[in-house]
Amino acid sequence: VDFTPDFHCPCASIRNREGQISIVKIDVDEGVFGIRNTFGEGRFSILQQPQIILLKEGTDTSQGKPQLVSNINACMAVADVVRTTLGPRGMDKLIHDDKGNTTISNDGATIMKLLDIVHPASKILVDIAKSQDSEVGDGTTTVVLLAGEFLREAKPFVDDGVHPQNLIRSYRAASYLAIEKIKELAVSIEGKSLEEKKSLLANCAATTLSSKLIGGEKEFFATMVVDAVLAIESDDRLNMIGIKKVPGGTMRDSFLVNGVAFKKTFSYAGFEQQPKKFLNPKILLLNIELELKSEKENAEIRLSDPLQYQSIVDAEWNIIYDKLDKCVKSGAKIVLSRLAIGDLATQYFADCDIFCAGRVAEDDLHRVAAATGGTVQTSVNNVIDEVLGSCEVFEEKQVGNERFNIFNGCPSGQTATIVLRGGADQFIEEAERSLHDAIMIVRRAMKNSTVVAGGGAIDMEISRYLRQHARTIAGKSQLFINSFAKALEVIPRQLCDNAGFDATDVLNKLRQKHALADGEGALYGVDINTGGIADSFANFVWEPAVVKINAINAATEAACLILSVDETVKNPKSESAQGEAAAGMGRGRGGGRGRGMRRR
Amino acid sequence: MALAFDEYGRPFIILREQESKSRLRGLDAQKANISAGVAVARILRTSLGPKGMDKMLQSPDGDITITNDGATILEQMDVDNQIGKLMVELSRSQDYEIGDGTTGVVVMAGALLEQAERLLERGIHPIRVAEGYEIASKIAVDHLQQISHKFEFSATHIEPLVKTCMTTLSSKIVNRCKRTLAEIAVKAVMAVADLERKDVNLDLIKVEGKVGGKLEDTELIYGILVDKDMSHPQMPKQIEDAKIAILTCPFEPPKPKTKHKVDIDTVEKFQTLRQQEQKYFDDMVQQCKDVGATLVICQWGFDDEANHLLMHRNLPAVRWVGGVELELIAIATGGRIVPRFQELTPEKLGKAGLVREKAFGTTKDRMLYIEHCANSRAVTVFIRGGNKMMIEETKRSIHDALCVARNLIRNNSIVYGGGAAEISCSIAVEAAADKYPGVEQYAVRAFADALDSVPMALAENSGLQPIETLSAVKSQQIKDNNPCCGIDCNDAGTNDMREQNVFETLIGKQQQLLLATQVVKMILKIDDVISPTEY
Repeated sequence: VDFTPDFHCPCASIRNREGQISIVKIDVDEGVFGIRNTFGEGRFSILQQPQIILLKEGTDTSQGKPQLVSNINACMAVADVVRTTLGPRGMDKLIHDDKGNTTISNDGATIMKLLDIVHPASKILVDIAKSQDSEVGDGTTTVVLLAGEFLREAKPFVDDGVHPQNLIRSYRAASYLAIEKIKELAVSIEGKSLEEKKSLLANCAATTLSSKLIGGEKEFFATMVVDAVLAIESDDRLNMIGIKKVPGGTMRDSFLVNGVAFKKTFSYAGFEQQPKKFLNPKILLLNIELELKSEKENAEIRLSDPLQYQSIVDAEWNIIYDKLDKCVKSGAKIVLSRLAIGDLATQYFADCDIFCAGRVAEDDLHRVAAATGGTVQTSVNNVIDEVLGSCEVFEEKQVGNERFNIFNGCPSGQTATIVLRGGADQFIEEAERSLHDAIMIVRRAMKNSTVVAGGGAIDMEISRYLRQHARTIAGKSQLFINSFAKALEVIPRQLCDNAGFDATDVLNKLRQKHALADGEGALYGVDINTGGIADSFANFVWEPAVVKINAINAATEAACLILSVDETVKNPKSESAQGEAAAGMGRGRGGGRGRGMRRR
Repeated sequence: MALAFDEYGRPFIILREQESKSRLRGLDAQKANISAGVAVARILRTSLGPKGMDKMLQSPDGDITITNDGATILEQMDVDNQIGKLMVELSRSQDYEIGDGTTGVVVMAGALLEQAERLLERGIHPIRVAEGYEIASKIAVDHLQQISHKFEFSATHIEPLVKTCMTTLSSKIVNRCKRTLAEIAVKAVMAVADLERKDVNLDLIKVEGKVGGKLEDTELIYGILVDKDMSHPQMPKQIEDAKIAILTCPFEPPKPKTKHKVDIDTVEKFQTLRQQEQKYFDDMVQQCKDVGATLVICQWGFDDEANHLLMHRNLPAVRWVGGVELELIAIATGGRIVPRFQELTPEKLGKAGLVREKAFGTTKDRMLYIEHCANSRAVTVFIRGGNKMMIEETKRSIHDALCVARNLIRNNSIVYGGGAAEISCSIAVEAAADKYPGVEQYAVRAFADALDSVPMALAENSGLQPIETLSAVKSQQIKDNNPCCGIDCNDAGTNDMREQNVFETLIGKQQQLLLATQVVKMILKIDDVISPTEY
C-alpha cells in the first residue's frame, strides 16, 4: 500500500493490493485522525494482513476492558446530571425541548426521560429510573445515583484487571445482604389505630414532599394525600385519585374533594338557567348523544307526497323528546353524558330543573360512576333506580378562572379528587408529579406497612453492616463488598453536598454514631436544618422500606448489567435500532437474572 | 453537557444532539434566570400606581393596544425566555384569581429576585434563601390579616365598595371619571351577586363597547344590550311591555336531519309543496302571535318571505342573535328558550318593560336595548369612548373593578393602599427577622427590603424622591403606630390612606405576596438549564 498523506491538501492517494487507486480524504480535527474513502466502496485496508469483514460496513464495534470503562464513564456522566436534585435542598432542572415545551422538575424519572439519552449503556439507567417510578413511585433519583456510584466504585477494580464477573457476584451477594438487613431494621406500623396510622403515613408523605417544590407546605399536602389514599382504601386503581390542575391562586388554595370534581364542560344556551346546586340528587350517567340528529347516518327517506313531510319532522322530534322524557322520568336531577348534550336537551332539562353536562371526559365519567355508585348507561330505556348514582352535595363552583362541577360526599367513597392550585403552569405540573410520588409512597406504606429512617440513616447503617460483614470474608470479595458499602454512603454525602454542608465532616460524625456497639446510633441521619446529625426516626423522616429495597435491587442489577457488557456493536443504519442492539446483547450476556430486573 | 471520552479519545454521545444543546448550571444558571426575571419586572415597574405610565404594544398584525394592566402587557409582549414566561404566568394567575394587582405582583417578584441575587453572591444556598422568603411571606400575610379592616356593606349601602373600586381605577387611564365607573361596577356586581352564598358569577355581566361619544356616557343597563337591529327597517323602534319569544329555530320550513328527498312528478304535487311551505310560514307567525308575543328574538336568520310576513303581521323580530346573548336575554327576561314553534306557550315568553332600538350619533349603527326586565340578574355595562383602544382599555379597567368588587363580596376585609400595607409588612418582617437563627435571617431581611420596593416604585412614578419619601413614611408609621400611612401619590396633602380613601382588598394583597414568593422559589430552585441552542 502506497500511502502518502499531504497535510496541506487534506487528501492522499492510496493504492491497494489489486492496484486500484483511491483518493482518500483525511480529517485532522482536534486529535481525531480518521481516514475516509471519498469513493463509495471502501475495500482497502492500511493493515498488512487481509481483514476479515464480518459485520456490515460502517458497523462500529468496541470491545474489551476499555469498552467497559467507557460505559462506566458514560453512566457516571448521566448520574451526575440528577445528582443535585437529591434531598430537601436539592435543586430543580429546567429542560426545554425543541418544540419549546418547558419542564421544571426535581423528579429523577422525569428528568431522565426528558434528557433523551441515546448512549446505549446509559439508557439502562433511564430504564431503572422508570421502573422505580412505576413500581414504587419515589426514590427515582436515589436509584440512578446508587447505580452510578456502584459503577464508580467498580471502575478502579476493572482498571486493575479484576474480572467483571467476580465483581458482579460480590455485588449481588452484598445487595442480598443489604436487603435482608433493611427488612430486619424496618419498623412495622401494622396494628395501629386509624388515627395513629394516619399521622405515620403523613410523615412518610412529608419526607417525600420535602425535597419538592411544594416542600414549604408539606404538612398541608401530606395530610391531603393521606386522606385521598385512605378514601380509596385498598382499591388498586390509582386513577381513582384524580388530580385537577387550575392555574391561579396559591398552593394553600388547593383542596381535596371527597368525590369527583371536573371542569365545566362546553355548554349550550340555556345552561345558565339550570339549577347549580343539589342536595342528595340522583345522577344519571349516559353514553349517548342527546341531540336532534338523524338516526342512521346513511339512511335516506323518499317522500312522494309533500303532505307527509311534517310527519317525518315530527317523528325525529318525537325520538329525541322521548329520550329526554325518559331521563326526566327516571327521577335523576343530574344528567351527565360522555357524548354531546345538545342545545335542545339543555333547554329541555333547564325547564325541568335538571342539571346536565355533555362531553364529560371518559375517565371523569368513570370516576363519577365509581364514586356515586351509578352505572353508565348506553340507552335511556328502562332506567331503573339501581343504575342511578347519588351524592350528598352537588355544586357548580368557581375555582380560579374556571367553573367546576363538584360532587361531594359520595356514598361508596372510592374516589378522591385533588384540585391543585398554583402560580404557573410549570409549577402545577411539578406539584402534580410530586403529589403522584407522595400518593404512591403512602399506598406502598399502607400495603407493606414497614418504614425505615430516612435522611441517609438507613444507608449508613447498611454500609456499616456490610463493612462489618466484609471483614469475615476471605478473598477478593472482601474488597468488593467494602466498595459496595462505600457506594451506599453516597446518599448522605449527596444530601450534605446539596445543602452546602461539609460532607466529610458530617459523614465522619455519622460513621462514628453508627459504629457505636449497642446500635443506638443506627437511626442517625443527616440533619438538613443545622448541618449536623440527628435521629431521623425521631424527627419523622421516614420512608417506606420497599422504596429502599427496590432502589438497591434495581441499582445493583443495573450496575451488574453494565459490568457484564464487554462489547458494543453499533449498527450504523437505523438510529433507533442502535440502543436496542447493545441493550439486547447486554441482557443476553447478563443472563436470565438480568432480564428479570424489570419485573422485580 | 459534561463530555466523557472513551478509550480512543472520542467524546461520547450520551444525549441526542448533544452538541447542539446548551446547558447552564450552578450559579450561572441562577444568575441568568434571575436577570431574565428582573428584566421583565423592570418593564412593568413604571406602570405601577396612579401616576404610572402606559405601554403601547403592537401585535404582529398591527393591532395596537395601549394599557397599563400588568397581565395584558405581559400577555401581548410575547416573552420568549422561559423564566420570562414564568413571570407572565405569575401575572396571569393573579389575574385569574383576583383580577387586580397584576402589576404589583410582578414588581414584587422582581424585587425578591434582585435581593436574592445579592444573597447568592454572598454564597448563601439558594434553597435557604427560598426558605427564608417563605418564612417571611407567612409573617407578612399574617400581618396583613392583623392590620386589615372589615367593613360592612349591604345592597343599599355600597359606598365602601365604590371607594375600593376607585382605588383600582385611579391607576388607569380612565381615572378622570373613576367615580362613575366605580359606581357602575359596584352596582353591576351587586345586581348579579348572590350575597348569601357569597358567589358572583361574572358571566352574567356583559361588557359592551362602542366607539363614539365620551367616556362619561358609559352607562349601566339593567338588562341586555344586543348589537343587532330589527330585521326590517319599518318595524317599530320601541316596544313597551314586550313579551319576547326566544327561539332557537329558524323561520323556515323545518328540515328533518335524516337525508330526504321529495319526489315531485306532477304539477299538483308541486303546488301542494308550495302551499305547504307558505302555510309553514303562516303558521309560524301565527303561533308567535297566538301566544301573545310582541317581539321575536331568533338565534338564526329568516327567509325574506318570513321577514316580510312578520312585518306584515306587525310582529317585530331580531335575527342572528348569538347563543350567549340569547341565554342572557332568557335569564334577564325570565323567559325560556324555545326550540320549535309548536312548543311556544305564553309562560315561556320573556318579559321586558322596554325594548328600544337606539342609533348612535351620525352613524347608522343601531343597538337594541332590552330594559326593565322581569329578572334583573343579568346586566350590561355599556362603554363609550373616543377610540377603539380607549374602549378596550376601559373594558380592562372595568374588569379589574368588577373583580375587586367581587372579591370584597367574598371577603369584606381591606387593607390600605398607596404602599401603606407593604411598608407596614416590611416593618413587621424586619422586626421578626432577628428571631431566626441561621442563614434564613438574611433572606427574611431581604424580603423586607423587597417589600419596600413597591412603595418606592410608587413614589418614583409619582415624581417624588423615592428614598426620602419612603423613609419619612416608614418612620411615621413606626412613630404613630399607624399602618395607614402610605405614599401620597396624588399630592393630596396627607399620607394617611384612610383619609384619602385608598383601599385594596386583603385577599388581593395576600395573594400577591404568596404568588410572588412561590414563583421566586421556583426560579431559585433551578440550577440546571438544558435547552436547544436556537432558543
